[in-house]
Amino acid sequence: MAATGQSQSTASSGAAIYFAILGIVTTAFGLADILVTAAGSEFGYGILEIPNDIFRGGWGGLIVLSAGLFYLSGTRNIGDIHQFAKVAMGSILIWIMAGCDIFAMITESIPGGEDGPWLNTLPGFLEVYASPYAPAVLLLPFSLVVIYYIYQRK
Amino acid sequence: MTLGLEERWTLIDRISKATVTFGKYEHTLKDAIGELTVKPLTGIPVAIAILYGFWSVFGSFAGTLCTDGFFVKLFDGYWLPWIQEAFPGQGDLLYRILVDAGGIDSGEFVLSDNCFEAFGALTSGLFVAIGVVLPAIVIFYLMLALLEDVGYMPRLAVLIDTMLHKIGLHGYAIVPTILSLGCNVPGVAATRILETKKQRFIMMTLLAIFIPCGAQIGIMEKVVPDLLGWILLYLLIGYFIFGYILNKIVPGRAPEFLIDVPPYRRPLLGNIAKKVGGRIRGFFTVALPFVMLGCAIVSVLYLLGVIQFLGDLLAPIFVNWFGVPAETAGPLVAAFLRKDLAVAQLSVIEMTEYQMITAVVLVSIYFPCVATFAMMLKEGWKELLGALAALVVVVFAYGGLIHLIGILLGVA
Repeated sequence: MAATGQSQSTASSGAAIYFAILGIVTTAFGLADILVTAAGSEFGYGILEIPNDIFRGGWGGLIVLSAGLFYLSGTRNIGDIHQFAKVAMGSILIWIMAGCDIFAMITESIPGGEDGPWLNTLPGFLEVYASPYAPAVLLLPFSLVVIYYIYQRK
Repeated sequence: MTLGLEERWTLIDRISKATVTFGKYEHTLKDAIGELTVKPLTGIPVAIAILYGFWSVFGSFAGTLCTDGFFVKLFDGYWLPWIQEAFPGQGDLLYRILVDAGGIDSGEFVLSDNCFEAFGALTSGLFVAIGVVLPAIVIFYLMLALLEDVGYMPRLAVLIDTMLHKIGLHGYAIVPTILSLGCNVPGVAATRILETKKQRFIMMTLLAIFIPCGAQIGIMEKVVPDLLGWILLYLLIGYFIFGYILNKIVPGRAPEFLIDVPPYRRPLLGNIAKKVGGRIRGFFTVALPFVMLGCAIVSVLYLLGVIQFLGDLLAPIFVNWFGVPAETAGPLVAAFLRKDLAVAQLSVIEMTEYQMITAVVLVSIYFPCVATFAMMLKEGWKELLGALAALVVVVFAYGGLIHLIGILLGVA
């Protein structure tokens, strides 16, 4: 019994550390989105590209920032269901953002363009999915870890 | 057999013992997430994210995939050239109304090269109805049905209740408001969920003036995508300013509302299909005929010179009061019948970004479309007259205010 309690506590502290780090990175990405949009400049590094339009960079940046704050706020006493719900909500916000970006890629990759054929060619189709990616897409795999903890709670 | 009072209570106790399980209820993750989405501090960021998702999916599906990806090519590349050739009497009155209003160059009738400029009922009318509005309506109602079935809409109603009370409405007013973003007709019908005449009047007036329908938003996204955010922001600000004023001057009650917030549920495909199917059928039978008819009437009025005449007559008001170029007078007059096409017409007129924002906002607040007009009449002619009186005041006051803001900012 005591061993189970100890392993739960270890898992909780592991989750708290993981989501605290993820929260810091997510908050930083959200702030970067908003700052890049406000400055009207472009920013790209490796596979990362920060969108600078008012919709994805401004509105979207606000959502990424909120996701980061949800993570950070939920990490204290993460074993409590209400606190853990904040962490789950942070991940849900990332899924909404990344899901929209991926859906936009899918819709862009299917048609063949104004002067091209009805459907895109295979290279044209694959090209749409190539990097660089928006911060939410890069955060997506890391946010999925929350599913593991949801099942662990069950 | 008649039971005495004591025996009834005993029976109730026996039944409840047999059917009810007593114990300590532990909150589940679903409950905790449900609570987070109704508390303002956490619920507002979630609402912002859900609305972002709504519009992002709407734009990607309706704009990028359907309209730009396939329908523009289908209508401009195949349908328009075919019907221009196949329809007899090129340049005749009937041809210009149904197929292509065209243009005159060196005394010769010149055909249009895209469906936006053709202005025929069978070209522009069909393209707007099928190529622009239909995908917008389908994805809009699909997303709305998903949010309803998941159980998010009642939470949004609770979240926005305090804000909507400031304009004499309550949280459930969000339902007609969001429905109107698809089509104003079901939006006006949905005002019946509000309890008092005052609330229904305020809601109907605000919907008719400040809520652009899916057709308009679809066209705006196609022709002025960079300015869409600013246009919607101006409309949103106007919605609250004039809602507040209407609440102060319209007599009547604005009661509180009680709502049962259901738990989040997995949406059922059958339910969603039924809802979306019913709403799209409603759009096809009620609103679509008006879209086609409106297109034909606008063509006739253009050909008879009525719109040009009214445009010239009203141009000084548009130029001096609203600060938009004189050329916008024609589309703004035509907006009485076809707001979406009026936006498309505005997009080809040379003007500054601020003037474009002003002109498109004016088109939106200018007059309800004919289908909405008919629906409002069904709700009562007194309400309709009241809403129209409010509309005239709002157009001049808000249009002038936007111009004034532009002058103060040095952009008008």
